[in-house]
Amino acid sequence: MPDTSGASLIAVPSGGGFPVEAAAETRASVTGAPAFQHSRIHRMADRWAHLAFLACSLLVVGLIGGILFFLASKGLATFWPMAGSTGRALSFSEVFLSTDWAPSSDRFGILPFIAGSLGVTGLALLIAAPTGTLTGVFIAKLAPPWMRNLMRQVMDLLVGIPSVVYGIFGLTVVLPLVSRTWLAEAPASGFAVSAVILAVMIVPTIVSLSTDAFESLPASLDEGAQALGSSRWQAIWHVLIPAARPRLLTATVLGLGRAIGEAMAVQMVIGNNPQWMALMRESTDRAPFLRALFTPAATLTTELVQELPNTAAGSTWNNVLFAMGLLLYLLTMVLILATRRLGRGKEA
Amino acid sequence: MRAVPAFRRSRSSKLVDRLMRGVLWGIAILFVVVLILFVGAILKQGWPVLNLSFLTKMPETLDAGGGIKPQIFNSLYLVVLSLSLSLPVGLGAGIYMAEYAGKGRALNFLRLCIETLAATPSIVLALFGMIVFVQAMGWSFSIRSGALTLALLNIPVITRVTEISLMAVPRELKEASYGLGATKLQTILKVALPYAATGILTGLVLTAGRAFGESAILVFTAGTNASAQFPDFRLTVPGETLSVHLWYVTSDGTLPDAREIAAGTAAVMILVLLTLNLLVRLVDRAIRRRTR
Repeated sequence: MPDTSGASLIAVPSGGGFPVEAAAETRASVTGAPAFQHSRIHRMADRWAHLAFLACSLLVVGLIGGILFFLASKGLATFWPMAGSTGRALSFSEVFLSTDWAPSSDRFGILPFIAGSLGVTGLALLIAAPTGTLTGVFIAKLAPPWMRNLMRQVMDLLVGIPSVVYGIFGLTVVLPLVSRTWLAEAPASGFAVSAVILAVMIVPTIVSLSTDAFESLPASLDEGAQALGSSRWQAIWHVLIPAARPRLLTATVLGLGRAIGEAMAVQMVIGNNPQWMALMRESTDRAPFLRALFTPAATLTTELVQELPNTAAGSTWNNVLFAMGLLLYLLTMVLILATRRLGRGKEA
Repeated sequence: MRAVPAFRRSRSSKLVDRLMRGVLWGIAILFVVVLILFVGAILKQGWPVLNLSFLTKMPETLDAGGGIKPQIFNSLYLVVLSLSLSLPVGLGAGIYMAEYAGKGRALNFLRLCIETLAATPSIVLALFGMIVFVQAMGWSFSIRSGALTLALLNIPVITRVTEISLMAVPRELKEASYGLGATKLQTILKVALPYAATGILTGLVLTAGRAFGESAILVFTAGTNASAQFPDFRLTVPGETLSVHLWYVTSDGTLPDAREIAAGTAAVMILVLLTLNLLVRLVDRAIRRRTR
């Protein structure tokens, strides 16, 4: 049991760690303050409450393990025969290294979805990381108080908007708008629009974390730079951003985590085409890059939303989909551990 | 240690400074404009649909002109259920982290778990809920599967908020309570929690907003059908919420007026969330005035 009182000489029975030996004896009623009854019942309640709070915490720890266990029990059935699984076992290479996704003809390559997730997340970060970080520095160091307040409220609202509403906005406003330009023909769904929508969704995360990062820097850094004759921007660019770098990276990694796990908004605008890699390879367009941005595609999350309801539990198809979920979960864990690493780098 | 950069105050550096300040203002204003356009577009699309009969009619399955009455009910019902499931756990874990866990490895590990749960994509939680509640427990798509899985989404947020609010309680207050002979539990229940209550309440409202907008989890646990009865408090029936309805009518496409229904539903959701946000702001302002 973690105990704080080990360090102090006077151990309080309830483990509070405060030197209260004298005060505990005096009756408080003398001073007119509320008198706390310190009977055996209360001491027992104290102990049981401690256990109850501990149980709540352990439940959270158990959940982390439980999610891993249940996802693995389904997802790993893709590769090894397991109880309750009726599908055939696949090899790692035919799942992770193949671009061929054709469940009805027994081919389960999930590379297009991994590439799709990475692609759309990368594009979204390309937009959201610089703008989010700069907005963070703007709020923390440049904006007048009214603007700071306004930006806080804007970010609060942006983070509170449900993903399906982002999705419907993309579907009914952004896609028609883009398909009217020279960029793409209707429906214009694909990486570009998904990434823009995703960027707006993850920007609040990056902004609020990087604002905190800049606000927690000692004022002497900023003042020192300006005393050396730097302009406002030079101080930001040469001193503040490097000093806050570990926490800015943490902000970006958490934004990445949000982007890669987002399902509904992306599913509504990306076009849901598992064969997007093949389509892109065959296309003989003259502007391949632009074409790639507006080809209907699919990601790990969108494919799960799209196909999981149609598959029978225990089939190979179903197992592979759960393996994709497991992959997302493992990725989350890696990202969180990465933020830990970054945080430790800051102290060193 | 890096060498101290030498700053030159030339004409070009002044120009760059002015330019970059402009860029920063520009980016910030861009986000304000994006939000206004966004909310404006959603409300404008939904406005013609929004009327009393839309809000109080049952949905249609094949014909135009359906309403969203059961979806509104299910949304509120699921938010209340999931919050009442996650509140005790979140509070307990938050109290443990703030008051009992100390500063060692245990707290660090707990915090790692909370962060991981908070960062877990909702689609992954949905898969977990589907395996455990829908399939293993045999509850199929139902309110209870949905509420339990949705609670997983709330728990880390409530834990965090509780921990932070309790950490902000002045040490002197707690010491005074100990000095009066209170046990630790008495101190937490009668001194620390009342002090932290407003912060926790604000966090709860924000959690409610998040649960209200959640869709990925509920598609796979509460299902895409609403009960034909109203109001249906049974925990065993499927419970399609507003956000799921919005997604389902858009992607299913059997309704002739799917566009209008989706637009109206989106507008209702935005209005609810704006109200919640205003509520938080008012509570926050009231607290600041009181503590000043």
